Amino acid sequence: MATATTAEEHADDLDIVAPSALRAAILDLRDLWGMFLRTLYYVFRGRREPGAIAEQMHAIGNRSLPFMCVTMAFIGAIICFQSALQSQRLIPDLTMLGATYTQLLVRDIAASVGAMPFATRVGAGIAAEIGSMVVTEQVDALRMCAADPVDYLVVPRFIASVVMGTVVLLISGFVAYLSGMLVANVVFDVNVHTFINFSMVGLADLAVGLFKCVTYGAAIAIVSAHRGLTTFGGSEGVGWATTQAVVGSCFAIIVLNLVISSVAYIVLF
Amino acid sequence: MTTQARSLPHRIGATVLSVAEQLGGTSILATQILARLSPRSLDRHELFRNLNKMGVRSVPMIAATAAFTGAIMVIQAAPLVEQFNATGFIGWGATFTTVRELGPLLIALMFNGRVGANNTAELGTMVVTDQVDALRALAIDPISYLIVPRVISIISMMVLLTVIGDLIAILGAMGTGWALLGVHPRVFIQSSVEMLTVWDFAVGLIKSGLFGIMIAMSSCYFGLATRGGAPGVGRAVNASVVASAAGVFIADYLSTFILD
Amino acid sequence: MIEVVDVRKRFARPVLSGVSLRVPKGCIYALIGPGAAGKSVLFKILAGLIAPDRGEVLIDGDEITTMTPLELAEARRKIGMLFQNYALFEMSVADNIAFPLRRLFDLSEEEISERVEERLARVALSGYGHRFPQGLSGGQKKRVGVARATIARPPLVLYDEPTAGLDPVTSQKIYDLIQDEQQKNKSTCVVISSDVTGVLTIADRVGMLHRGKLIFDGATREAQESDIPEVRQFVHGLTEGPL
Repeated sequence: MATATTAEEHADDLDIVAPSALRAAILDLRDLWGMFLRTLYYVFRGRREPGAIAEQMHAIGNRSLPFMCVTMAFIGAIICFQSALQSQRLIPDLTMLGATYTQLLVRDIAASVGAMPFATRVGAGIAAEIGSMVVTEQVDALRMCAADPVDYLVVPRFIASVVMGTVVLLISGFVAYLSGMLVANVVFDVNVHTFINFSMVGLADLAVGLFKCVTYGAAIAIVSAHRGLTTFGGSEGVGWATTQAVVGSCFAIIVLNLVISSVAYIVLF
Repeated sequence: MTTQARSLPHRIGATVLSVAEQLGGTSILATQILARLSPRSLDRHELFRNLNKMGVRSVPMIAATAAFTGAIMVIQAAPLVEQFNATGFIGWGATFTTVRELGPLLIALMFNGRVGANNTAELGTMVVTDQVDALRALAIDPISYLIVPRVISIISMMVLLTVIGDLIAILGAMGTGWALLGVHPRVFIQSSVEMLTVWDFAVGLIKSGLFGIMIAMSSCYFGLATRGGAPGVGRAVNASVVASAAGVFIADYLSTFILD
Repeated sequence: MIEVVDVRKRFARPVLSGVSLRVPKGCIYALIGPGAAGKSVLFKILAGLIAPDRGEVLIDGDEITTMTPLELAEARRKIGMLFQNYALFEMSVADNIAFPLRRLFDLSEEEISERVEERLARVALSGYGHRFPQGLSGGQKKRVGVARATIARPPLVLYDEPTAGLDPVTSQKIYDLIQDEQQKNKSTCVVISSDVTGVLTIADRVGMLHRGKLIFDGATREAQESDIPEVRQFVHGLTEGPL
């Protein structure tokens, strides 16, 4: 219900401001969907290059882990501080801070907030790499050698982004939990034992959080690879593709979050 | 094993050196910009072109992001609100978080992706196609002609877009609260107006100004430092968005604690 | 070998407006023309990388514009291509050269490395197999590109600007290499070049594209003696004329 109203409001806005933009967005969605289906097809039927997936997992997972941990440590501290400040204005009792924070972290923050910096780093990387290959004709050279770019370039990145995206978001989410606990303990004097409280985390929260991680990983890879493959022109084109990849993946995350959260709210809670 | 042992300190050292180089380069760029901040040397045409491109053209994207964010916030809070039967506080809760934290942060991230990345790409392309050297050859100072208008545009537009984005996010939250939880907009507005202070708004705007500085400096620095053709532009954009995202989070952390 | 019938292609504006040409088997065909005449687009159409809006393209008697992706992959075994921007992958020189063999043919690793060594020697880059393309000069990259384009001994080789940005001596070496290759394999070559004088030293036939149309198609000698004003001006590099 909530989705319907906001989606309609949003559509109306665009229709008045720029009908052509809406049409372009719909075409774009169709392209992305087509690319997603082709990627899925090649995931199961494609030809594996030995080592390609491991290499991408390293680039997408291991190499973004330090950045993600630092970022999420800051985010965890900020969110905990902010929500403690907020609830102090209502009730002076902070015993439920840990439980609420844990629930929000599991259900949404670890996945959705973490996915934004992850998309910035990984999406920009994927689009820059594939975009450079397009403008230097390497993608044409691949096609001349019967290597479908979706099979050869997109599939390893897709698999790596789904798997390592989930892993990285879980680890950095845990870092956010620790930093939140630290802030609660140091700034608000919440005992660590009081903070560690999983009473509000249900199986549904866990399922929703995990589902979000997987979806975001897939969305980031598909959107960024699509932007990379549709690069045209020279270095300006690569820059444009990279920009579009970051914006597109972040936007996809926000829209997917709204869809998943509202469906989950209506169905599960 | 031995190569691993040898390469780890090497890798750490290399990372420290490159971060130091980037910080140093950015500070030098910052002093160069400050030295040229006089209204007389400012290229009006270039400034207005950038204000339009970075600010006006970003409004639809920022508006869409903000509306979705407002809606998501209420959906996330909905189970809690129902549990404690705190419908009277949802308005204040949503606006407080939006204005102080989430609005500036999310808008900065989207702004970084769209404007920061684009800025690096544009400057990087100018560098690799020798356009910046061409400016120097024509005795036009690239810093005051190219960089100063961009820095001013990014910082001022970041703050203005945050104001717009905050408003739209609050509207989105209000709409969702009404549709999902049956909280009437009047109740929503009342609870926000009663409990919000001007300082809450000020904190949000100071933050967005800081984020703007981070995005402006890092996107200009990495753009000017681009080397090596089209792949180089891709790498520069990548490095720039990651560095400004890190800068935004650190600035956010520090300002959240200082501006209590 | 190649037969192109009334090919049309437009992007924002018409790029090719009705091009027909024939390249007989076993010849070196030079495709010349001023910038933005549609040479590169025609080339990518020949390789099946871009589909034309209209027209037929026959490679060795097979129509490639209507092929399914799988058939197209099969047809590309017969085509080698050197790209204008080298298009070398970020892998070692040897892996770059072996790439078409690994993807298109079922050969043992020994056979592959044997043929890679032979190719490297052929382009005078023996011992460069383990190097990476980033560290090579422009001429060396072009030679790696030539080695990759010819390793599968394709009956048709397409060279897109093989000498762009190279000095005259290196250019001549590349032309000699193209000619030697062609004579040894009895293959058909199509060469796009802006260096008209150089490419005419090896070409048997010449086609000139101008504003999306083929305004000349004939033997090299005929091109040099042509009365068509555009062709005469272009081939002889005159400043006065219709171009």
